[in-house]
Amino acid sequence: MTAAIVTRDLHKHYGRLRALDGLDLVVDAGQVHGFLGPNGAGKTTAIRTLLGLARATSGEARVLGMDPWKDAVAIHRRLAYVPGDVSVWPNLSGGEAVDLVVRLRGTAVKDRQYRLERERLMDAFRFDPRKKGRSYSKGNRQKVALIAAFAVPADLYILDEPTSGLDPLMSVVFHHEVTRVAAAGATVLLSSHILSEVEQLCDRLSIIRRGRVVEAGTLADLRHLTRTEVSFAARGITPDRPPGVPGAHDVVVAGGRVRFTLDDDRVAEALPALAELGVVGLRVTPPSLEELFLRHYGDDPAAAQTAETRRR
Amino acid sequence: MRRFAALWRLRVRRDRLQLPLWIVGTVLLAYAGYAGVTESYGSLADRQGILAAARADPVILMFRGLPSGPSAGAFLAFEVLPWLAVLAALMTTFLAVRHTRAEEEEGTAELVSATPAGRLSPTVATLTHGLTANLVLGALTGLALTSTGLDPEGSWLTGAATAATGVVFVGIGLTAAQVVRTSRAASSLTIWVLVVTFLLRGVGNAAGTPQGGLLRTASAWPAWLSPFGWAEQTRPFDENLWWPVLLAAGCGIALGILAVLLQHARDMGAGFLAERPGPAQARPALSSSTALVWRLAFGGIVGWAVGGALTGLLATTLGGVLGRVAGTNPAVVHVITRLAGSGSLDEAAITVFFTMLGIVAGCCAVQTVVRARQEEVRGTAEPVLAAAVGRVRWLADHLVVATGAVVIIVAVAVAAGCIGLAAGGHDASDLYRTVLVDGGGQLVAASVFTAITGLILSLAPRVTVSLAWLLLILATMLGMFGPLLGMPGWTMNLSPFGVTPVVSGSGVEARGLWWLLLAVAAGTSLCLAAMRRRQLAPAR
Repeated sequence: MTAAIVTRDLHKHYGRLRALDGLDLVVDAGQVHGFLGPNGAGKTTAIRTLLGLARATSGEARVLGMDPWKDAVAIHRRLAYVPGDVSVWPNLSGGEAVDLVVRLRGTAVKDRQYRLERERLMDAFRFDPRKKGRSYSKGNRQKVALIAAFAVPADLYILDEPTSGLDPLMSVVFHHEVTRVAAAGATVLLSSHILSEVEQLCDRLSIIRRGRVVEAGTLADLRHLTRTEVSFAARGITPDRPPGVPGAHDVVVAGGRVRFTLDDDRVAEALPALAELGVVGLRVTPPSLEELFLRHYGDDPAAAQTAETRRR
Repeated sequence: MRRFAALWRLRVRRDRLQLPLWIVGTVLLAYAGYAGVTESYGSLADRQGILAAARADPVILMFRGLPSGPSAGAFLAFEVLPWLAVLAALMTTFLAVRHTRAEEEEGTAELVSATPAGRLSPTVATLTHGLTANLVLGALTGLALTSTGLDPEGSWLTGAATAATGVVFVGIGLTAAQVVRTSRAASSLTIWVLVVTFLLRGVGNAAGTPQGGLLRTASAWPAWLSPFGWAEQTRPFDENLWWPVLLAAGCGIALGILAVLLQHARDMGAGFLAERPGPAQARPALSSSTALVWRLAFGGIVGWAVGGALTGLLATTLGGVLGRVAGTNPAVVHVITRLAGSGSLDEAAITVFFTMLGIVAGCCAVQTVVRARQEEVRGTAEPVLAAAVGRVRWLADHLVVATGAVVIIVAVAVAAGCIGLAAGGHDASDLYRTVLVDGGGQLVAASVFTAITGLILSLAPRVTVSLAWLLLILATMLGMFGPLLGMPGWTMNLSPFGVTPVVSGSGVEARGLWWLLLAVAAGTSLCLAAMRRRQLAPAR
């Protein structure tokens, strides 16, 4: 399988700030690739560099096999982009803005296929094309970029938090569109904070923090990185006499319950010990994506862990 | 009260660089005007000669003030007071729009209005800010003139008249910002009011009745319709009338209150002129980035072209009147040729107006290229550059449209000038040639600003808007006022508008043409080359 996007040790510095600090990102062709990370982690900088809107300080990047800075125009003919915060021309109507962007990507004015797709998408997104740009709400501005992106086929879709400002119903329409283009063989790089969206759409994900990829893999791969949480009623177990469960980490006895975590692949091993204890009120919580996020989004993993415990 | 103070402080802080520049510039013009007048027209006889000439010549009165006697002070007021007032008016127009409608457009006003500060206090704070700025401007102007040893009352009155004109335009700017929906439209509307009232004042003075020989003029009624007329009716260093200052200030404050009332009556973000829906589909023509730039700049270009047509028409029709006085009054010949360099009177008048035309076209060029920067900041350059449009092409589009706009404006002006000549029954083909040569020269001069703005945009994007306009203002000052202020010759040669080819005798003198062409070519190729290496610079 060839890669649609590859970056190797990509750096982008703004003065002292290292927005990208050795980014190694690989997105294989035909994949829907989730791109996650806390605010300010460098997602948008990475995307702008991949689009050739910003020039890398050092390192290598290839998009569709080409150099994003030098071959920007050639790449852009095969690519569709939806920014997280769409700006539209205040005195152009939404319909004009959509047509313009699509034509700038190289579509002929009289393209019949495009006309039909445009009609279908405007209907699906319930979009009024006659309003002027300045009177659109955030969600409607977002629709301008989404309709322009999905109305003509592309090899690569770069979507930077595309559903911000969309209502849940419109998010469903968006999911349909991503699934449709993925089925047609396109590659999608989807930056998002919405867990269900990532879970539903993405084959693989990369988590970025402080300008570098800290975790990459399939969802199943990444789930292994967090531990299963086990808890049960204390009933005679006190902090000074912890239960002897093999593989248990961070044992806490508090609020009348015993809690600990187990490595994902050692849950089965611990079960006999639990049976022997005759536990009551047993709860086994498999690692959720949310925990995964919190672990990587917080300032440091330990703090994220406590934040997570507090939430329960 | 504390909230109001906070909003006021915010305005002062945001303007901490801009306003001092405007104020210092205006005060400097007053001061340099004094120096220029004493140097060039030191003797009473000089000044009497000029005033008599001005009386006889409407073209001079359009660009100068109201004649109020030959004393050094009154003559200074005649030379610079209208221009001081114009600077104050421009300063406050932009101030008023910047802190009201522009904030609403950007959405920051919504943030403020949702706090207990409420919807009205931003407008009231802007009004206060504008009044204060003009107060400072007027006080410093008065101080500067007093320091030269001129009569204190006249000096302070000159400052007060300047400030009062500014106050009127605070009111007009605030009201315009209420009526229309965009800051650009509000600024344009106010500037049109400025230009029209400035012309009205000139017409009123030119049609006035001479008094005291030819040295004083009692203005006709059109001058009374204009804030600039009110400023002049104070007649500093002559009668020293203070009530027109009160009239102007009162009118400005009344308009400010009207703006607050209008604000009270409307929704946030809305205007009083309704918004029409746009087309559901883009026209086939709107399918390249060049077409987009043209579409976005079109409204502005039309406005500048109307201005160009008016300038061209005035150049040849008002100039025609000159012929009648040329033989009888050598002083007229003196002042006109002093402004225009050389040549016959009709030619000189055409050259003066076509210098104005060059400035008009230059403004349009700067405005069009600066749009690229505004698109970049707003984020609408991104979808274009993320489509199949390269950076160099994107910049080139703006240069092409700006050049097209300059060509249109000059062509319209030349056509209007020729119509004026034909209507005036001129048979001298010489004048048609002057119109063509001056028009062509100013076309090149204005194009220099297209190239310079492009260069700034590609090398130092963050200062594009301020630096490009600043350079244009400097060139205007040098080109229009350099001779009058007694500036050394080499400084005037720095202004593209002042070194364009002129008709001399039967031939054409190229003057700085080759330098201008070189600047255009070098600037254009440099900025396109620099754009290859430049990345998008969205934030400030």
